[in-house]
Amino acid sequence: MPTRSKARKEEPAEAGSDIVMEEAPTSHQPESKDDDMSLPGSTPTAASFEFLNEGHTLGNALRYVINRNPEVEFCAYAIPHPSEPKMTVRIQTFEGTTAIEALEKGLRDLQDLCDVVTDKFIEARERFSAGASS
Amino acid sequence: MDFDPMVMDDAESLGPVVKISQADSVRTKFELSNVDISFANSLRRVMLAEIPTIAIDLVEIEENSTVLADEFIAHRLGLIPLNAEGVESLVNSRDCDCEGYCEHCSVRLTLHAKCTGDENMSVFARDLVPTGERLNQVLGTPIVTDSEGLGPLILKLRPGQEIKLECIAKKGIAKEHAKWAPSAAIGFEYDPHNKLHHTDLWYEQDPKAEWPPSEYAEWEEPPQEGEPFDYDAVPNRFYYNVETAGNLPPDAIVTEGIKVLQQKLAGLIHELTEGEGGDGANGDYNGPRSPEYNTGADGFGGYTTPFGNAGNQSAWGGAGGTTPYGTTPYGAGQSSWS
Repeated sequence: MPTRSKARKEEPAEAGSDIVMEEAPTSHQPESKDDDMSLPGSTPTAASFEFLNEGHTLGNALRYVINRNPEVEFCAYAIPHPSEPKMTVRIQTFEGTTAIEALEKGLRDLQDLCDVVTDKFIEARERFSAGASS
Repeated sequence: MDFDPMVMDDAESLGPVVKISQADSVRTKFELSNVDISFANSLRRVMLAEIPTIAIDLVEIEENSTVLADEFIAHRLGLIPLNAEGVESLVNSRDCDCEGYCEHCSVRLTLHAKCTGDENMSVFARDLVPTGERLNQVLGTPIVTDSEGLGPLILKLRPGQEIKLECIAKKGIAKEHAKWAPSAAIGFEYDPHNKLHHTDLWYEQDPKAEWPPSEYAEWEEPPQEGEPFDYDAVPNRFYYNVETAGNLPPDAIVTEGIKVLQQKLAGLIHELTEGEGGDGANGDYNGPRSPEYNTGADGFGGYTTPFGNAGNQSAWGGAGGTTPYGTTPYGAGQSSWS
């Protein structure tokens, strides 16, 4: 009967894929605890992050904002499978900054953008009601 | 890093601009310009699906002698818009310490009607009465906007029929169920002349003659005769039409929508910065993890991904009996299950 341990023993015959699989964890450097984390195979300037329970709402806007950072070489997002509640963002930066910094900056920049739009909306709304009443 | 995310590449680098063309208690029409389409769409999506409101979620039916089935009535009750003012101070029922529900995470409404006359009787949303403790005096009250003050029709009773029930309204978002949607509809359009060719207009002879112009068509310059297609053009002006279902004022839908987006970001920034200090953040973390840690070996066999078989079996075919999904209880031949 093939058991799990037996299966493991058989593994070395398949060295190529096994090494690839085992190398992944050493380069895996998680930065964050909960919703998002970098996926295996990251280097300081190039990493993929996985966001749980996020979708196009955050992904597309975040991708755009990160791409506006001149120190970012590449940024894209994907939803690998529609029935998994996951969204991944790939960030590659030039030397001088890290992918994590670029992600954090992207998040903060998007927040600032939200602030500005809120202010503009409230301002426009006040101007509109002032114009309507006068 | 010295760049301003708000400054666009356009000639008028003023940052986002909002222009309101109509605003009343039912709808807000506005134009958002100088933002990217990705942000404009995020705002649309978040307003549509992620603003918390309150809706009936549990119904306990004590007496129902109407012709309608219990679950049918329960469904109708769920769809009745309730006033969501102050819903932010309501606790999400799943996060509440109570068992089931309590006054911190729900609003109780009762409905009791009996047709005693000899004509059919209609039961309206105004007959739903909020009872018990409430966070404020309006939260959870059914929205009544018609001139007679009746609200939506729930059901009708024949003489002698009776309906008696108790509802629990909870906080939620439209992503989970559309009954929590704050907006009846959100109009979103850009490029009214279809200069960017993002749409293919269906036509029999001539799309120009057959398609009515958008109401925003006169806001933008129509394309010149024989104008070459601009490959670099990007949409820049977005027209929203936010119509409320009554539970939140239309302006509040917009501001709340941006707020939800910001809360999302704030949560992520928090997690990102929190996690940086402690190394191996994934170590003692037993929530959702990145795929490679879900190896079949530690009992996670049920749902490993192709990447998840580190020391165990390769997804690409090591031991016999593995599936591409790793060591499923069915695939590994023998496992702790047997």
